Amino acid sequence: MIQEIFTQFGVTLPKFIAQLVLFLIVYFVLNRYAFAPILRILEERRKRIEEGQLNAEKIKKQLAEAELRYQEMLRKANDDAQLLIEESRKNNEAFSKREMDRAVTESSAIVDRARQEIASERTLMVDEVKKEMVSLVIKTTAQVAGKILTPEDQKRLTEEAQKCLG
Amino acid sequence: MVFDLPLLATASLSAETPAAFENSFLGWLSNSIFVTFLVVGLIVWLVRSCTRKIEVIPSAGQNFLEAVVEGFYGAVEGILGDKMAKKSFGLLASLFIFILISNWFGLIPGVGSIGWGVKDGLFTLKDLEIPLLRPPTADMNMTMALAAVSMTLWFIWTMQATGPVAFIKELFGVKGGMSGPILFLLVPLFLFVGVLEVLSILVRPVSLSLRLYGNIFAGENLLGTMINIGHLFNAPQWLTYVLSCIVPIPFYFMELLVGFLQAMVFTLLIIVYLQLSTTHEEH
Repeated sequence: MIQEIFTQFGVTLPKFIAQLVLFLIVYFVLNRYAFAPILRILEERRKRIEEGQLNAEKIKKQLAEAELRYQEMLRKANDDAQLLIEESRKNNEAFSKREMDRAVTESSAIVDRARQEIASERTLMVDEVKKEMVSLVIKTTAQVAGKILTPEDQKRLTEEAQKCLG
Repeated sequence: MVFDLPLLATASLSAETPAAFENSFLGWLSNSIFVTFLVVGLIVWLVRSCTRKIEVIPSAGQNFLEAVVEGFYGAVEGILGDKMAKKSFGLLASLFIFILISNWFGLIPGVGSIGWGVKDGLFTLKDLEIPLLRPPTADMNMTMALAAVSMTLWFIWTMQATGPVAFIKELFGVKGGMSGPILFLLVPLFLFVGVLEVLSILVRPVSLSLRLYGNIFAGENLLGTMINIGHLFNAPQWLTYVLSCIVPIPFYFMELLVGFLQAMVFTLLIIVYLQLSTTHEEH
Protein backbone atom coordinates (compact mmCIF):
# COMPACT_ATOMS: atom_id res chain seq x y z
CA MET A 1 0.00 0.00 0.00
CA ILE A 2 2.79 2.37 0.93
CA GLN A 3 4.53 1.40 -2.29
CA GLU A 4 1.38 2.29 -4.18
CA ILE A 5 1.12 5.69 -2.47
CA PHE A 6 4.77 6.40 -3.18
CA THR A 7 4.28 5.47 -6.85
CA GLN A 8 1.23 7.67 -7.10
CA PHE A 9 3.09 10.65 -5.63
CA GLY A 10 6.20 9.91 -7.66
CA VAL A 11 8.39 9.22 -4.64
CA THR A 12 11.49 7.29 -5.69
CA LEU A 13 14.74 6.78 -3.86
CA PRO A 14 16.99 8.57 -6.42
CA LYS A 15 14.70 11.61 -6.51
CA PHE A 16 14.34 11.62 -2.74
CA ILE A 17 18.12 11.43 -2.29
CA ALA A 18 18.64 14.17 -4.90
CA GLN A 19 16.26 16.50 -3.07
CA LEU A 20 17.76 15.56 0.28
CA VAL A 21 21.28 16.33 -0.93
CA LEU A 22 20.17 19.62 -2.49
CA PHE A 23 18.53 20.74 0.74
CA LEU A 24 21.60 19.67 2.73
CA ILE A 25 23.71 21.83 0.39
CA VAL A 26 21.42 24.79 1.12
CA TYR A 27 21.64 24.05 4.86
CA PHE A 28 25.43 23.80 4.70
CA VAL A 29 25.88 26.95 2.59
CA LEU A 30 23.50 29.06 4.65
CA ASN A 31 24.89 27.80 7.93
CA ARG A 32 28.52 28.16 6.92
CA TYR A 33 28.49 31.32 4.81
CA ALA A 34 25.48 33.26 6.08
CA PHE A 35 24.29 32.47 9.58
CA ALA A 36 27.58 31.65 11.27
CA PRO A 37 29.43 34.81 10.11
CA ILE A 38 26.39 37.01 10.69
CA LEU A 39 25.76 35.63 14.17
CA ARG A 40 29.49 36.05 14.86
CA ILE A 41 29.42 39.66 13.67
CA LEU A 42 26.25 40.34 15.68
CA GLU A 43 27.90 38.85 18.75
CA GLU A 44 31.04 40.89 18.08
CA ARG A 45 28.95 44.05 17.70
CA ARG A 46 27.04 43.26 20.88
CA LYS A 47 30.33 42.77 22.73
CA ARG A 48 31.72 46.02 21.31
CA ILE A 49 28.63 47.93 22.40
CA GLU A 50 28.85 46.32 25.81
CA GLU A 51 32.56 47.16 26.02
CA GLY A 52 31.83 50.70 24.84
CA GLN A 53 29.22 51.11 27.54
CA LEU A 54 31.56 49.67 30.15
CA ASN A 55 34.35 51.95 28.94
CA ALA A 56 32.04 54.95 29.01
CA GLU A 57 31.07 54.04 32.58
CA LYS A 58 34.74 53.57 33.48
CA ILE A 59 35.71 56.87 31.88
CA LYS A 60 32.85 58.61 33.67
CA LYS A 61 34.01 57.11 36.95
CA GLN A 62 37.63 58.03 36.24
CA LEU A 63 36.56 61.55 35.31
CA ALA A 64 34.66 61.88 38.57
CA GLU A 65 37.66 60.53 40.47
CA ALA A 66 40.00 62.89 38.60
CA GLU A 67 37.67 65.78 39.37
CA LEU A 68 37.71 64.80 43.02
CA ARG A 69 41.50 64.43 42.98
CA TYR A 70 41.80 67.76 41.23
CA GLN A 71 39.57 69.43 43.81
CA GLU A 72 41.54 67.79 46.61
CA MET A 73 44.85 68.89 45.07
CA LEU A 74 43.51 72.39 44.60
CA ARG A 75 42.35 72.50 48.20
CA LYS A 76 45.70 71.14 49.40
CA ALA A 77 47.59 73.62 47.23
CA ASN A 78 45.47 76.43 48.67
CA ASP A 79 46.17 75.23 52.21
CA ASP A 80 49.89 74.90 51.44
CA ALA A 81 49.94 78.36 49.89
CA GLN A 82 48.16 79.79 52.94
CA LEU A 83 50.67 78.08 55.21
CA LEU A 84 53.58 79.37 53.13
CA ILE A 85 52.17 82.87 53.13
CA GLU A 86 51.61 82.67 56.89
CA GLU A 87 55.06 81.28 57.44
CA SER A 88 56.72 83.86 55.21
CA ARG A 89 54.74 86.57 56.90
CA LYS A 90 55.95 85.30 60.27
CA ASN A 91 59.50 84.97 58.96
CA ASN A 92 59.30 88.41 57.51
CA GLU A 93 58.11 89.87 60.78
CA ALA A 94 60.86 88.11 62.75
CA PHE A 95 63.43 89.15 60.22
CA SER A 96 62.23 92.76 60.31
CA LYS A 97 62.29 92.74 64.09
CA ARG A 98 65.72 91.20 64.16
CA GLU A 99 66.99 93.67 61.61
CA MET A 100 65.39 96.53 63.48
CA ASP A 101 66.96 95.41 66.73
CA ARG A 102 70.27 94.99 65.02
CA ALA A 103 69.96 98.44 63.46
CA VAL A 104 69.04 99.95 66.82
CA THR A 105 71.93 98.18 68.51
CA GLU A 106 74.31 99.21 65.80
CA SER A 107 73.11 102.80 65.80
CA SER A 108 73.42 102.91 69.61
CA ALA A 109 76.92 101.58 69.32
CA ILE A 110 77.71 104.15 66.63
CA VAL A 111 76.27 106.93 68.80
CA ASP A 112 78.25 105.72 71.84
CA ARG A 113 81.40 105.46 69.80
CA ALA A 114 80.78 108.91 68.37
CA ARG A 115 80.20 110.26 71.85
CA GLN A 116 83.39 108.69 73.09
CA GLU A 117 85.27 110.01 70.11
CA ILE A 118 83.77 113.46 70.66
CA ALA A 119 84.66 113.30 74.34
CA SER A 120 88.22 112.24 73.62
CA GLU A 121 88.49 114.84 70.89
CA ARG A 122 87.18 117.43 73.29
CA THR A 123 89.68 116.38 75.96
CA LEU A 124 92.49 116.55 73.44
CA MET A 125 91.31 119.94 72.25
CA VAL A 126 90.95 121.22 75.81
CA ASP A 127 94.46 119.96 76.61
CA GLU A 128 95.72 121.61 73.41
CA VAL A 129 93.95 124.85 74.30
CA LYS A 130 95.34 124.65 77.78
CA LYS A 131 98.82 124.12 76.40
CA GLU A 132 98.35 127.05 74.03
CA MET A 133 96.99 129.20 76.82
CA VAL A 134 99.93 128.34 79.09
CA SER A 135 102.32 129.10 76.25
CA LEU A 136 100.54 132.40 75.62
CA VAL A 137 100.60 133.27 79.31
CA ILE A 138 104.34 132.65 79.41
CA LYS A 139 104.96 134.62 76.25
CA THR A 140 102.74 137.49 77.36
CA THR A 141 104.29 137.60 80.78
CA ALA A 142 107.77 137.66 79.24
CA GLN A 143 106.85 140.49 76.93
CA VAL A 144 105.12 142.45 79.69
CA ALA A 145 107.93 141.98 82.15
CA GLY A 146 110.57 142.66 79.49
CA LYS A 147 112.84 139.96 80.68
CA ILE A 148 113.75 136.53 79.85
CA LEU A 149 111.95 134.11 82.11
CA THR A 150 113.91 131.50 83.87
CA PRO A 151 112.90 127.90 83.75
CA GLU A 152 111.70 128.25 87.37
CA ASP A 153 109.56 131.22 86.37
CA GLN A 154 108.22 129.35 83.44
CA LYS A 155 107.43 126.33 85.63
CA ARG A 156 105.68 128.49 88.18
CA LEU A 157 103.74 130.42 85.59
CA THR A 158 102.69 127.21 83.92
CA GLU A 159 101.48 125.78 87.19
CA GLU A 160 99.58 128.91 88.04
CA ALA A 161 98.00 129.17 84.61
CA GLN A 162 97.02 125.52 84.76
CA LYS A 163 95.53 126.08 88.15
CA CYS A 164 93.55 129.04 86.82
CA LEU A 165 92.31 127.07 83.77
CA GLY A 166 91.22 124.36 86.06
CA MET B 1 -25.88 24.30 -10.32
CA VAL B 2 -23.74 21.38 -11.38
CA PHE B 3 -20.62 21.76 -13.46
CA ASP B 4 -19.86 18.86 -15.73
CA LEU B 5 -16.67 20.57 -16.92
CA PRO B 6 -13.23 19.58 -15.62
CA LEU B 7 -12.79 22.77 -13.61
CA LEU B 8 -9.70 21.59 -11.77
CA ALA B 9 -6.53 21.55 -13.78
CA THR B 10 -5.19 18.07 -14.05
CA ALA B 11 -1.63 18.62 -12.85
CA SER B 12 0.19 15.41 -12.12
CA LEU B 13 0.55 14.41 -8.46
CA SER B 14 4.17 13.55 -9.03
CA ALA B 15 7.08 15.54 -10.40
CA GLU B 16 7.68 14.66 -14.02
CA THR B 17 10.86 13.69 -15.80
CA PRO B 18 11.19 14.60 -19.50
CA ALA B 19 10.77 11.57 -21.72
CA ALA B 20 14.30 11.98 -23.11
CA PHE B 21 15.80 11.49 -19.63
CA GLU B 22 13.56 8.75 -18.37
CA ASN B 23 15.67 5.76 -19.26
CA SER B 24 19.05 7.45 -19.00
CA PHE B 25 21.34 8.10 -16.03
CA LEU B 26 19.46 11.43 -15.64
CA GLY B 27 16.25 9.61 -14.85
CA TRP B 28 16.22 11.20 -11.41
CA LEU B 29 16.27 14.75 -12.88
CA SER B 30 12.62 15.70 -12.57
CA ASN B 31 11.27 19.17 -13.26
CA SER B 32 11.08 19.89 -9.51
CA ILE B 33 14.69 18.79 -8.96
CA PHE B 34 15.67 21.09 -11.83
CA VAL B 35 13.89 23.97 -10.06
CA THR B 36 15.56 22.94 -6.78
CA PHE B 37 18.91 23.43 -8.52
CA LEU B 38 17.78 26.92 -9.55
CA VAL B 39 16.58 27.69 -6.02
CA VAL B 40 19.86 26.42 -4.51
CA GLY B 41 21.81 28.51 -7.03
CA LEU B 42 19.72 31.57 -6.22
CA ILE B 43 20.19 31.11 -2.46
CA VAL B 44 23.94 30.53 -2.81
CA TRP B 45 24.28 33.60 -5.06
CA LEU B 46 22.20 35.77 -2.69
CA VAL B 47 24.14 34.63 0.36
CA ARG B 48 27.51 35.12 -1.29
CA SER B 49 26.62 38.56 -2.60
CA CYS B 50 25.26 39.66 0.78
CA THR B 51 28.11 38.23 2.85
CA ARG B 52 31.10 38.53 0.54
CA LYS B 53 32.63 41.19 2.70
CA ILE B 54 31.26 40.95 6.22
CA GLU B 55 32.15 43.97 8.31
CA VAL B 56 31.19 45.42 11.66
CA ILE B 57 29.72 48.41 9.82
CA PRO B 58 27.44 46.58 7.36
CA SER B 59 26.66 47.18 3.69
CA ALA B 60 23.00 47.36 2.54
CA GLY B 61 22.84 43.63 1.68
CA GLN B 62 24.57 42.58 4.88
CA ASN B 63 22.31 44.90 6.84
CA PHE B 64 19.20 43.25 5.37
CA LEU B 65 20.50 39.75 6.05
CA GLU B 66 21.51 40.77 9.57
CA ALA B 67 18.04 42.14 10.28
CA VAL B 68 16.44 38.89 9.05
CA VAL B 69 18.88 36.68 10.96
CA GLU B 70 18.66 38.76 14.13
CA GLY B 71 14.87 38.85 14.10
CA PHE B 72 14.55 35.14 13.41
CA TYR B 73 17.23 34.21 15.94
CA GLY B 74 15.48 36.30 18.61
CA ALA B 75 12.20 34.48 17.94
CA VAL B 76 13.86 31.03 18.04
CA GLU B 77 15.83 31.92 21.16
CA GLY B 78 12.65 33.12 22.87
CA ILE B 79 11.01 29.71 22.37
CA LEU B 80 13.90 27.26 22.62
CA GLY B 81 16.34 29.02 24.93
CA ASP B 82 19.89 30.08 24.16
CA LYS B 83 21.51 26.63 24.10
CA MET B 84 19.08 24.93 21.73
CA ALA B 85 18.68 28.07 19.60
CA LYS B 86 22.43 28.09 18.89
CA LYS B 87 22.25 24.46 17.83
CA SER B 88 19.08 24.51 15.76
CA PHE B 89 18.99 28.02 14.32
CA GLY B 90 20.87 27.02 11.15
CA LEU B 91 18.37 24.29 10.29
CA LEU B 92 15.29 26.31 11.16
CA ALA B 93 16.35 29.40 9.22
CA SER B 94 17.48 27.26 6.26
CA LEU B 95 14.12 25.47 6.25
CA PHE B 96 12.21 28.74 6.35
CA ILE B 97 14.26 30.45 3.63
CA PHE B 98 14.35 27.40 1.38
CA ILE B 99 10.62 26.62 1.68
CA LEU B 100 9.66 30.28 1.23
CA ILE B 101 11.76 30.72 -1.92
CA SER B 102 10.57 27.38 -3.29
CA ASN B 103 6.92 28.22 -2.63
CA TRP B 104 7.19 31.65 -4.21
CA PHE B 105 9.16 30.26 -7.14
CA GLY B 106 5.97 28.53 -8.18
CA LEU B 107 4.31 31.92 -8.66
CA ILE B 108 6.76 33.02 -11.35
CA PRO B 109 4.89 33.08 -14.68
CA GLY B 110 5.89 30.08 -16.72
CA VAL B 111 6.34 27.72 -13.80
CA GLY B 112 3.86 24.92 -14.37
CA SER B 113 2.66 26.42 -17.65
CA ILE B 114 5.63 25.96 -19.99
CA GLY B 115 6.63 22.45 -21.02
CA TRP B 116 5.89 19.51 -23.26
CA GLY B 117 2.48 18.28 -24.42
CA VAL B 118 0.06 18.02 -27.31
CA LYS B 119 0.75 20.92 -29.70
CA ASP B 120 -2.03 23.34 -30.45
CA GLY B 121 -0.14 26.03 -32.36
CA LEU B 122 3.41 27.28 -32.82
CA PHE B 123 4.00 28.11 -29.15
CA THR B 124 0.82 26.77 -27.58
CA LEU B 125 -0.19 23.40 -26.23
CA LYS B 126 -3.57 21.82 -26.16
CA ASP B 127 -2.66 19.84 -23.09
CA LEU B 128 0.45 20.40 -20.98
CA GLU B 129 1.73 16.93 -20.08
CA ILE B 130 5.17 17.64 -18.62
CA PRO B 131 5.83 21.13 -17.27
CA LEU B 132 9.43 22.30 -17.56
CA LEU B 133 9.38 23.84 -14.10
CA ARG B 134 7.60 22.66 -10.96
CA PRO B 135 8.01 24.18 -7.49
CA PRO B 136 10.20 21.91 -5.34
CA THR B 137 7.67 21.98 -2.53
CA ALA B 138 4.99 20.62 -4.92
CA ASP B 139 7.02 17.41 -5.07
CA MET B 140 6.61 14.82 -2.30
CA ASN B 141 10.27 13.83 -2.66
CA MET B 142 11.32 17.28 -1.53
CA THR B 143 8.80 17.67 1.29
CA MET B 144 9.69 14.20 2.56
CA ALA B 145 13.39 15.06 2.37
CA LEU B 146 12.77 18.23 4.38
CA ALA B 147 10.76 16.29 6.96
CA ALA B 148 13.39 13.55 7.11
CA VAL B 149 16.26 16.00 7.73
CA SER B 150 14.22 17.91 10.30
CA MET B 151 13.04 14.88 12.25
CA THR B 152 16.48 13.22 12.18
CA LEU B 153 18.09 16.34 13.61
CA TRP B 154 15.19 16.70 16.05
CA PHE B 155 15.91 13.17 17.31
CA ILE B 156 19.68 13.77 17.59
CA TRP B 157 19.29 17.08 19.44
CA THR B 158 16.62 15.63 21.72
CA MET B 159 18.89 12.73 22.62
CA GLN B 160 21.77 15.14 23.23
CA ALA B 161 19.64 17.40 25.41
CA THR B 162 17.77 14.81 27.48
CA GLY B 163 19.43 11.44 26.95
CA PRO B 164 17.60 8.24 25.94
CA VAL B 165 16.52 7.28 29.47
CA ALA B 166 14.92 10.65 30.21
CA PHE B 167 13.33 10.62 26.75
CA ILE B 168 11.73 7.21 27.30
CA LYS B 169 10.73 8.21 30.84
CA GLU B 170 9.09 11.33 29.45
CA LEU B 171 7.15 9.24 26.95
CA PHE B 172 6.05 6.36 29.15
CA GLY B 173 6.54 7.60 32.71
CA VAL B 174 3.69 8.38 35.09
CA LYS B 175 3.29 12.13 35.25
CA GLY B 176 1.89 14.30 38.02
CA GLY B 177 4.09 13.06 40.89
CA MET B 178 1.82 10.08 41.77
CA SER B 179 2.90 7.55 44.39
CA GLY B 180 1.49 4.59 46.27
CA PRO B 181 -1.10 2.12 44.95
CA ILE B 182 -2.55 4.63 42.49
CA LEU B 183 0.81 4.62 40.72
CA PHE B 184 0.41 0.92 39.85
CA LEU B 185 -3.07 1.57 38.57
CA LEU B 186 -1.88 4.38 36.35
CA VAL B 187 1.16 2.60 34.88
CA PRO B 188 -0.79 0.77 32.11
CA LEU B 189 -2.63 3.95 31.24
CA PHE B 190 0.56 5.95 30.86
CA LEU B 191 2.16 3.10 28.91
CA PHE B 192 -0.73 3.34 26.49
CA VAL B 193 -0.36 7.14 26.37
CA GLY B 194 3.36 6.59 25.63
CA VAL B 195 2.51 4.32 22.70
CA LEU B 196 0.17 7.00 21.35
CA GLU B 197 2.94 9.56 21.84
CA VAL B 198 5.39 7.38 19.88
CA LEU B 199 2.81 7.00 17.12
CA SER B 200 2.31 10.77 16.99
CA ILE B 201 6.08 11.24 16.70
CA LEU B 202 6.23 8.69 13.87
CA VAL B 203 3.39 10.44 12.09
CA ARG B 204 5.07 13.85 12.33
CA PRO B 205 7.26 13.52 9.20
CA VAL B 206 4.27 12.30 7.23
CA SER B 207 2.05 15.15 8.38
CA LEU B 208 4.81 17.71 7.83
CA SER B 209 5.55 16.57 4.30
CA LEU B 210 1.90 16.05 3.27
CA ARG B 211 0.77 19.41 4.65
CA LEU B 212 3.41 21.35 2.74
CA TYR B 213 3.04 19.31 -0.42
CA GLY B 214 -0.75 19.47 -0.32
CA ASN B 215 -0.92 23.23 0.13
CA ILE B 216 1.58 24.08 -2.57
CA PHE B 217 0.30 21.49 -5.02
CA ALA B 218 -3.25 22.71 -4.44
CA GLY B 219 -2.08 26.30 -5.00
CA GLU B 220 -0.45 25.30 -8.28
CA ASN B 221 -3.66 23.60 -9.39
CA LEU B 222 -5.75 26.54 -8.30
CA LEU B 223 -3.63 28.99 -10.29
CA GLY B 224 -3.66 26.62 -13.26
CA THR B 225 -7.43 26.41 -13.09
CA MET B 226 -7.79 30.18 -12.82
CA ILE B 227 -5.46 30.74 -15.77
CA ASN B 228 -7.42 28.25 -17.89
CA ILE B 229 -10.84 29.29 -16.71
CA GLY B 230 -11.88 30.77 -20.06
CA HIS B 231 -10.73 27.67 -21.86
CA LEU B 232 -12.62 25.44 -19.46
CA PHE B 233 -15.85 27.35 -20.09
CA ASN B 234 -15.25 27.30 -23.86
CA ALA B 235 -15.11 31.10 -23.93
CA PRO B 236 -14.03 32.87 -27.11
CA GLN B 237 -10.27 33.10 -27.66
CA TRP B 238 -9.97 36.83 -26.82
CA LEU B 239 -11.99 36.37 -23.61
CA THR B 240 -9.88 33.38 -22.63
CA TYR B 241 -6.74 35.57 -22.86
CA VAL B 242 -8.34 38.40 -20.89
CA LEU B 243 -9.64 36.05 -18.20
CA SER B 244 -6.30 34.26 -17.95
CA CYS B 245 -4.69 37.61 -17.14
CA ILE B 246 -7.27 39.02 -14.73
CA VAL B 247 -8.81 36.10 -12.84
CA PRO B 248 -5.58 34.70 -11.30
CA ILE B 249 -4.47 38.06 -9.80
CA PRO B 250 -6.25 37.74 -6.41
CA PHE B 251 -5.18 34.11 -6.22
CA TYR B 252 -1.56 35.13 -6.76
CA PHE B 253 -1.80 37.32 -3.63
CA MET B 254 -3.44 34.48 -1.76
CA GLU B 255 -0.69 32.10 -2.88
CA LEU B 256 1.97 34.60 -1.76
CA LEU B 257 0.39 34.46 1.69
CA VAL B 258 -0.02 30.67 1.59
CA GLY B 259 3.63 30.28 0.56
CA PHE B 260 4.77 32.41 3.48
CA LEU B 261 2.41 30.73 5.94
CA GLN B 262 3.42 27.23 4.91
CA ALA B 263 7.11 28.08 5.32
CA MET B 264 6.28 29.54 8.73
CA VAL B 265 4.09 26.59 9.76
CA PHE B 266 6.70 23.99 8.80
CA THR B 267 9.45 25.85 10.69
CA LEU B 268 7.28 26.61 13.70
CA LEU B 269 6.22 22.99 14.01
CA ILE B 270 9.87 21.87 14.14
CA ILE B 271 10.50 24.56 16.78
CA VAL B 272 7.50 23.31 18.78
CA TYR B 273 8.64 19.68 18.52
CA LEU B 274 12.10 20.70 19.74
CA GLN B 275 10.64 22.79 22.52
CA LEU B 276 8.37 19.96 23.69
CA SER B 277 11.16 17.41 23.81
CA THR B 278 14.10 19.47 25.05
CA THR B 279 12.86 22.01 27.54
CA HIS B 280 12.03 19.51 30.34
CA GLU B 281 15.60 19.40 31.59
CA GLU B 282 15.76 23.20 31.79
CA HIS B 283 12.83 23.39 34.25
